[in-house]
Amino acid sequence: MMNDPHWGFILTAYFLGIWVLSGLLYWIVTDYRLQNKALAALEAAGAKRRSDGDLE
Amino acid sequence: MNLAFANPRRFIAFARLAIPWVGGLGAVVAAVGFYGAFAVAPADYQQGETVRIMYIHVPAAWLSTACYGIMALSSIGTLVWRHPLADVSAKAMVPIGAAFTFLCLITGSLWGRPMWGTWWVWDARLTSVLILFLIYCGILALWNAYEDPARAGRAAAVMTLVGAINLPIVKFSVDWWNTLHQPASVFRMGGPTIDGSMLWPLLTVAIGLTLIMLALHMAAMCNEILRRRVRTLGLIAATTEARDFSA
Repeated sequence: MMNDPHWGFILTAYFLGIWVLSGLLYWIVTDYRLQNKALAALEAAGAKRRSDGDLE
Repeated sequence: MNLAFANPRRFIAFARLAIPWVGGLGAVVAAVGFYGAFAVAPADYQQGETVRIMYIHVPAAWLSTACYGIMALSSIGTLVWRHPLADVSAKAMVPIGAAFTFLCLITGSLWGRPMWGTWWVWDARLTSVLILFLIYCGILALWNAYEDPARAGRAAAVMTLVGAINLPIVKFSVDWWNTLHQPASVFRMGGPTIDGSMLWPLLTVAIGLTLIMLALHMAAMCNEILRRRVRTLGLIAATTEARDFSA
């Protein structure tokens, strides 16, 4: 493949694919941590819902 | 529609079990597909090695419309059945769909430059996919324009369903108009025109990336449920504080 004159285009396409998927994964993991942290802070401050069963 | 998972707590419990399995299986299947794409599938007799961009570009293109299809179904769930998870599902899918559409556009451009001699051409297929990406961006902006997620959900659902008219245009643009983009070569009447040695890695990568997309969607839905719980608890805490202050 490296002998192909267009290998730069192929590699760039796949690096972009990895970058996009990694970006999605990073967004989900950081968002999860952020929401859990905020939830823990609110619960530590004594905030409670009337119904314990549902999350929303 | 399965109402067993209508309860967000039950959905989170299910998702926590399913995400590692679905995501892991997707990664393995995609890895097998990429191995086939690079080690087994031959170079194209006209395009040479550049044809290998197909194995990332085409699944990204399929997923860009599949994600929108899931958003449209979720939007029907929001507007018709008021399913508790429908707008959560729709909102969680927007960035994922936008990411795959962006990947489709960029890899298509990288494929077009050496094969067509241009990065971009305003033909029907490319333009309709660009419009799809802009619709995703618009829906994302709409979700962030409202404070109340229920109101945002209804507005976004209407916009999603209006934008769904673009899906058949994306699919059939290559048949309805003369385009530089090639016509359908896999999902078409009369069967695929791609040789089997190239078709199986393509379908395997597509299945793998679809499973990864579903795992990401479930994880993003869990985050959205948590975000709404944070919002509700924040409102309760603020109300309690205001009541205590006035007393």
